[in-house]
Amino acid sequence: MSNKIRTIDITDSTASLDQLCDIENGTISGMMFSDEAIYRKELERIFARCWLFVAHESQIPNTGDYITTTMGEDEVIVVRQKSGEVKVFLNACPHRGNKVCFSESGSTRGFICNYHGWSFNLSGNLIGQHESSVYEDSNFDKSRWGLREVAKVDSWKGLVFATFDPESPSLEEYLGPMTWYMDALFDNQEGGTEFVGGCIRSTYECNWKIAAENFVGDALHAGWTHDSGAKAMLGGSVTKISELGESYSVNWNGHGYEFALDTVGNVAALGEKALNKYIYQIKPSAEERLGAFRSNMIASVSSCTIFPNFSFLPGQNTVRVWQPRGPNKIELYTWVLVNKSAPEDIKEKWRKGAMITFSPTGVFEMDDGENWEYSTKTAKGWVTGQQNLFIGLGMDTLKRDTSLPGNVFSGQLNEANGRAFYQYWRDLLEAESWKDVPDRNVGKAEVQ
Amino acid sequence: MLHSYDDLKPVTADQYYEVSRFLNYEYRLLDEERFEDWLNLVHEDIHYWMPGIENRRRENLLDQGFYGTDHMAYFDDNLRDLTRRVARFLQPSAWAENPPTRNVHQITNVEVYHGETPDEYVVYSVFQSVRGRGLDEEYVLYGRREDLLVKSSAGFRIKKRLIVIPNASLKFKNINTFL
Repeated sequence: MSNKIRTIDITDSTASLDQLCDIENGTISGMMFSDEAIYRKELERIFARCWLFVAHESQIPNTGDYITTTMGEDEVIVVRQKSGEVKVFLNACPHRGNKVCFSESGSTRGFICNYHGWSFNLSGNLIGQHESSVYEDSNFDKSRWGLREVAKVDSWKGLVFATFDPESPSLEEYLGPMTWYMDALFDNQEGGTEFVGGCIRSTYECNWKIAAENFVGDALHAGWTHDSGAKAMLGGSVTKISELGESYSVNWNGHGYEFALDTVGNVAALGEKALNKYIYQIKPSAEERLGAFRSNMIASVSSCTIFPNFSFLPGQNTVRVWQPRGPNKIELYTWVLVNKSAPEDIKEKWRKGAMITFSPTGVFEMDDGENWEYSTKTAKGWVTGQQNLFIGLGMDTLKRDTSLPGNVFSGQLNEANGRAFYQYWRDLLEAESWKDVPDRNVGKAEVQ
Repeated sequence: MLHSYDDLKPVTADQYYEVSRFLNYEYRLLDEERFEDWLNLVHEDIHYWMPGIENRRRENLLDQGFYGTDHMAYFDDNLRDLTRRVARFLQPSAWAENPPTRNVHQITNVEVYHGETPDEYVVYSVFQSVRGRGLDEEYVLYGRREDLLVKSSAGFRIKKRLIVIPNASLKFKNINTFL
């Protein structure tokens, strides 16, 4: 039965994952995207457990600086403490659950709920209420009713992550050797990176996994989907990715990074010669920091997703989170990343270049949205949702003899990362606890 | 961008009519996908700007209020940028434009004032953009606009356009049109 349309006798979609998501045989199915029960399970077992990206350190440099975002569908406040550390709280008052911070970004001395005047300091402690004497009459213990804090917050090279699950592995263990590759974008120069101001948000009628999987390892779509965008930005036809030479797909714990070693393939898509030139200018110092191999990745044809929903494109410098909003909807948050040490005019060119390519008005992004929405919408059909979908490219491409860290596969036109992403997704949905998540990593955990 | 204009003087009824006719004509060009004709209405020094909108408290506003000059923007374009966007629309491989998006652009609340020089006009307006795609997709976007038009013997040219929408989060996936 190659791709014969079949339906499964499904009474419980989450119990039928072995049929819906059969990675060994390289098939998945649309029901993974459209099913409400699966989505509820994802909120519990993925978004309430995994490390999720919440902020870049540069967004909240000073005491009292905050941004608001979501972890899954849970609204949170990310705020800089007097001590310099970052705390993350549920953006919901522990009295009636009303939102306590309605602004996306700013600077404050604390948060006061509009409903009954419960007032919290930067550490989340309840410090007062309107008509406070009536609470005293009820022997109210203020110390027990602060803003609810997430289980753990940690950061890696400016990227702040948080998790609701005290049992989750450390961020370092969670990211594993992916950070070695992420250095190519986030640590190619002294001083690291920063976000341009603002955040552009838009809504896709698509499942979050389709977008995340696109960035985890789908270089294949780029040449076809984005033909019009590439021609518009570059004024001519585009090099075929298959002709770029040496390239890889690397994954770990469901994260994935696909890349060529062509140095400027992604940044070239912005059509700004000054940016290509900047990349070549910093390449020698990047090589000193990271070695020759990774200095070839700083703006090459590449993309990455950190499981579950944090993605970026080196070179275009778009950084994004696919916020889940139901099985058939995401809210996309995008930011623009630049090297702190880059000259102002270079930062400015990236601000504009990232937006004209990858934003709701971007000449590349416009063609993605259509694909992702209809990959989700067709799955609503009872029969279509259970059709086998092929995800079998590069089944036998694991490189066992490499010194590179992670699970390394040859070629970026490869669905190995997509398979690893969906396998990890399935493993998490099926695992009662972190210790039940099978370790499927076969490569080196550390750089040798 | 146009906030520096003090003591704006309203134009005559005839001038108002001329500007209104231009604005309607411009929007019809967009609805008819005559993108190259539309580009001809754009001044060579155009600044076409649609900033991202940020939901901030009053005490933490940006240099322009709820948007900032050096922050992320949907459009922050010069003529070359706009030309590149048009180039994508015209590619046969712009897959998401075939079948085409069906556009209706509308403009209301038009106020026209004299600019700093005799050939300049400052125009405030409100727009509505409705797009239909596929069988059932419909996207409606409202906003305010501030334009600086320059009149030459060839007619009006758009030299500055500021587009401000009320939405801090778009309710749809893209803005595959001009506003």
